[in-house]
Amino acid sequence: MEAFIPVVIMFVLALLLSGAIYFITSVLGPRVRGRIKLSPYECGVYEPAAQTSTKLPFQFRFYLIAVIFLLFDVEGAFFLPWALIYRESLAVDGTLLVGMLVFSFFVVLGLVYVFRNKYLNVD
Amino acid sequence: MRDGLFIAFGILTILGGLGVVVARHAIFSAFSMVIAFFGLSALYVLWGSNFIAMLQILIYTGAIVVLFVFVVMLLDLKKESSLDTGSGLAVMLSGATVWFFSLLILRAMNRGSYFASEKVLVSQDMRVISHLLFTKYLWPFEILSLFLLALIIGVCVLARPDSKEGPHK
Amino acid sequence: MDWLDLTIIFVRTAVIYVAFIQVVPIMIWVERKGAALIQDRPGPNRVGPFGLLQPVADALKFLFKEDPIPKEVNKFLYAIAPFLILLPASLVVCAIPIGDYAVFFGRDVLLQVADLDVGLLFVLSIGSLGVYGILFGGWASSNKFSLLGAMRSSAQVISYEIPLALAAANAVMFYGTFNLRQMVFAQEGTLFGFLPNWGIWYQPLGFLIFFIALFAETNRLPFDLPESEAELVGGYHTEYGSMKFAVFFMAEYINLATASGLMTTLYFGGWHLPWITDARLLELLGSRNLLALLQVATFTVKLSFFMIVFVWVRWTIPRFRFDQLMRVGWKNLLPLGLLNIIVTAIVLYLVEGR
Repeated sequence: MEAFIPVVIMFVLALLLSGAIYFITSVLGPRVRGRIKLSPYECGVYEPAAQTSTKLPFQFRFYLIAVIFLLFDVEGAFFLPWALIYRESLAVDGTLLVGMLVFSFFVVLGLVYVFRNKYLNVD
Repeated sequence: MRDGLFIAFGILTILGGLGVVVARHAIFSAFSMVIAFFGLSALYVLWGSNFIAMLQILIYTGAIVVLFVFVVMLLDLKKESSLDTGSGLAVMLSGATVWFFSLLILRAMNRGSYFASEKVLVSQDMRVISHLLFTKYLWPFEILSLFLLALIIGVCVLARPDSKEGPHK
Repeated sequence: MDWLDLTIIFVRTAVIYVAFIQVVPIMIWVERKGAALIQDRPGPNRVGPFGLLQPVADALKFLFKEDPIPKEVNKFLYAIAPFLILLPASLVVCAIPIGDYAVFFGRDVLLQVADLDVGLLFVLSIGSLGVYGILFGGWASSNKFSLLGAMRSSAQVISYEIPLALAAANAVMFYGTFNLRQMVFAQEGTLFGFLPNWGIWYQPLGFLIFFIALFAETNRLPFDLPESEAELVGGYHTEYGSMKFAVFFMAEYINLATASGLMTTLYFGGWHLPWITDARLLELLGSRNLLALLQVATFTVKLSFFMIVFVWVRWTIPRFRFDQLMRVGWKNLLPLGLLNIIVTAIVLYLVEGR
């Protein structure tokens, strides 16, 4: 836990830097406000009401990518503790190799399923 | 100092959790959840369990909440949704929960320290966890991989964009 | 741990943080000069000799610009989004070892902010938090270009996180630890008498996957779809101005520096000079602090090399299309990462199994 003390210090330093940046720009910058300036950026459109902003049909594919990412991230996270002890476990036996081969087999099956059904195609 | 940090991060976590419940925009709920999970992993570090703390950030903060934010954007939950406080059952349930956890906290405070004994701290070392996972709990681990495969297939089938029942573009 | 220790930790953290922030102005100059060199034009040459003061002029200009908050934005998230990217970028700096240790006031001072036993995992997990700045920034801006850029960018970042984790797992398997400092120690000396004992000779494919995934994670060309100025104006930071806009780029360059540092640490021997061990160097130099200085210099040279590679690639390779990007991430890098782990595991079993 002591090893994380510098991380806390770094966190505080980064917060201070952010605060300083925020403060300095608010002091130094000029302030000339206008209707057009404060409207959302859109090329060639001058009427703020015409800008549909975020009323955009969200592409459903992105949601699917996030779900698939979550599942594969969980599977990937299992490789990390396995990798940590794999090399020293070789001195005993090859159980870990077999265990991970079985696990990888199911991961690959999942991948193949996702690819075959084109769930990740974005177009 | 350790107790002080624990209280600070504990308060941060609780505030984050409160934010999830009372925030009026769904996106602020997600943001509060990030803070709550971040505070929680700081608590794990204070308990001496760095490995669990990092996995907590990697999976929960880095993946699950991202999914929540995507859902919020998908459903365009920009309008404020008021908190439904009128329901008597909700009030009763939350009251009971608060009461139960207050008792737990009071009990923990009576023990003098927020931390478990050193024995528990040592047993959370990451090599120990890894060894246990891949020796004693090897079979549950393999069955888990099968579950994950089932999850992938199930999620994809349910969320298929071109299916009749599921949501689509 | 007394007050002197705490002071040393504080000063060390501040100095290393400032050093990594200093990368930003230097990289602005290198990037602009590099682009000019590749495109056969002079580049910045007005402000100071060789345009060296150009970053200072840029920074001053950013500071004195108005900081508008557009109408219809979600003020709170709009204001904090740049800092949500800067914070993880700063925290990741903690794990990078830039040298062994120096001696000040009779104390051993580690040349690394925090010697974490979960170092690599820390980098992966904290690095994955940068996606929130992108998502919240794009969403809060209330602009369709921002939102589109944010969606694309976050989809890209999360997609390449898995190959990155798999390549990292490969390195962890090889070194048997998450601790980045231990990994550097394992890369000391020579291999077969003529090669430096670097990780890249043992895991070239792992390095390739790591390298490509880092390009995507840092949003650099050829993976800079979120910005793709031709189609999306500016991506998730379209609505940002003044220093808030600059903070996005600060974070990008700090990320670039840590990414280069990480590659150096995992695959190129970290602070070690090739072909010579630290013990031998200590004999030759006779002083711990001189050795530490040499180590930091070596690390800086290696890190600079990767930074220049980043710039070089940016101005050489055209941008991917979004579907190509997803295909590379999921269909090429992810299976390659799995294959890499399995092959390495089998080879290790054949070589070292009982």
